[in-house]
Amino acid sequence: MEVILFYFCGALMVIAGAMMVLSRNAVVAACWLIFAFINAAGIYATLSAPFLAVLQVLVYAGAIMVLFLFVVMMLQGPVLAGERRRLRPWLWPFLLLPPLAILLTVAGFLRRADNTSFPVAAPAGFGSAEQVAGLLLSRYLLAFELISIVLIVAIIGSLALGKVDRRQPWK
Amino acid sequence: MELFANLLGKIEALSSQNVLILSSLIMALIMALVMAACAIVFTWMERKVAAFLQSRYGPMRVGHWHGVAQPVADMLKILQKEDIIPAEADRTLFTLAPVVIFIGSLLAWAAIPFAPGFIASDLDLGLLYIFAVSSLAVIGILMAGWASNNKWSLYGAARGAAQMVSYEIPLALSTVPVVLYTASLNMNDIVIAQQGGVANWFLFRDPFLFVAFVVYFICSIAEVNRGPFDMPETESELVAGYHTEYTGMRWAFFFLSEYANLFLVSCIATAVFLGGWWAPIPGLPLAPALNFIVKSVLLVFLHMWVRWTLPRLRVDQLMYLCWKVMIPIALICVIGSGIWLMVSGQAS
Repeated sequence: MEVILFYFCGALMVIAGAMMVLSRNAVVAACWLIFAFINAAGIYATLSAPFLAVLQVLVYAGAIMVLFLFVVMMLQGPVLAGERRRLRPWLWPFLLLPPLAILLTVAGFLRRADNTSFPVAAPAGFGSAEQVAGLLLSRYLLAFELISIVLIVAIIGSLALGKVDRRQPWK
Repeated sequence: MELFANLLGKIEALSSQNVLILSSLIMALIMALVMAACAIVFTWMERKVAAFLQSRYGPMRVGHWHGVAQPVADMLKILQKEDIIPAEADRTLFTLAPVVIFIGSLLAWAAIPFAPGFIASDLDLGLLYIFAVSSLAVIGILMAGWASNNKWSLYGAARGAAQMVSYEIPLALSTVPVVLYTASLNMNDIVIAQQGGVANWFLFRDPFLFVAFVVYFICSIAEVNRGPFDMPETESELVAGYHTEYTGMRWAFFFLSEYANLFLVSCIATAVFLGGWWAPIPGLPLAPALNFIVKSVLLVFLHMWVRWTLPRLRVDQLMYLCWKVMIPIALICVIGSGIWLMVSGQAS
């Protein structure tokens, strides 16, 4: 069951990634990227990492991509509808990559379709919120705190850069 | 509820994997029906509450008693309407947007515990999962606004996205004190921890939790885009906001999701703060699901009361309220509840 879902999400993710690169419209590309992220969450969930899966949806699909969509929608001019460019000949071989990836995924699935569970089962409670939190607040405490300092510096920096001077709003 | 419990018992008895898929499908169907029922009941209720607050009668004709069949008449009208897609719209995204919004609100129902054992998926990360999947609705709103190729839609979508992304933070933060008490994100565990009467509800466990509930309630109004925070669809400025160009059934999907989300945030509040399925006085012979639904509907009534009483805020006031009032208060609640837990020795 998990294996079927794993390969299903994997194949969808490859397709979504390929479509993201191939779309001519930036907004459509961003939507494909969101779809790819949701499938990545599905892969995490099948790999006994539920906490990571939920965070993937919450942070990437729910927050970061919303910001992306926001910026792309506001900055994009007219939709590039009629414009069609010929692909350069030396790029043609790369067209084979997405089908190849899908083929490999399907082949990998068919090779081991006989058993529908992963060979090594994760220990009980693996990847749960308690375990992730326990690791973050003990073994990786220093890195965790350092990252929060870096993020605060980034927030203050962007605020300082983006601030409009009220006395000279044209600047 | 007897019937549901019976059905559920039968489903659980046959717990092979194929049956698991089948039972998931049945639960998904039940949740979709709950969503449809929300839209039907709450459209009628909204009109009656609005009329009551404005000293009117509201719908009185359709159906024999107080216009109860009004939603049915509305549904028939919507079904007959022409489905218009603007010529300049992005067809794919335009047709996909209502579906994305609908899926975002349907997914969240999976982790709502209506009664002991009656939960579609008993996830360990239930609370986090609900916040994660309901944040997907923002993408649907942005898609709808952009694909319509209409400036009012785009403004509405931009406001909606900014508002929902901002208010998600205090909304999630205000439930953190409860998680401190239960040490679990599982919705069932959270409800079970409130066993007993009113005094054991998380609402009254400590003063910080009461404040957290108020923060949650205010932010949930903003999260479902209702008045006084209905900036994404202000009819006096933006025609109808992100769904200006939608007609017929596609528009109905937005409407359905809006009322389903309204009931959803009320259900989360009931499960997290108001004791879930436990009766207010222990030993009261009331069905657990009835307790849960009555509490949630009362919260929905509170939402409607606020909507039809208070005037709309400005966009900058909305953002000010979120970032400079709600988030600091929610953070203080988290710290305060933690200290309260430590001092009172209830820490688990």
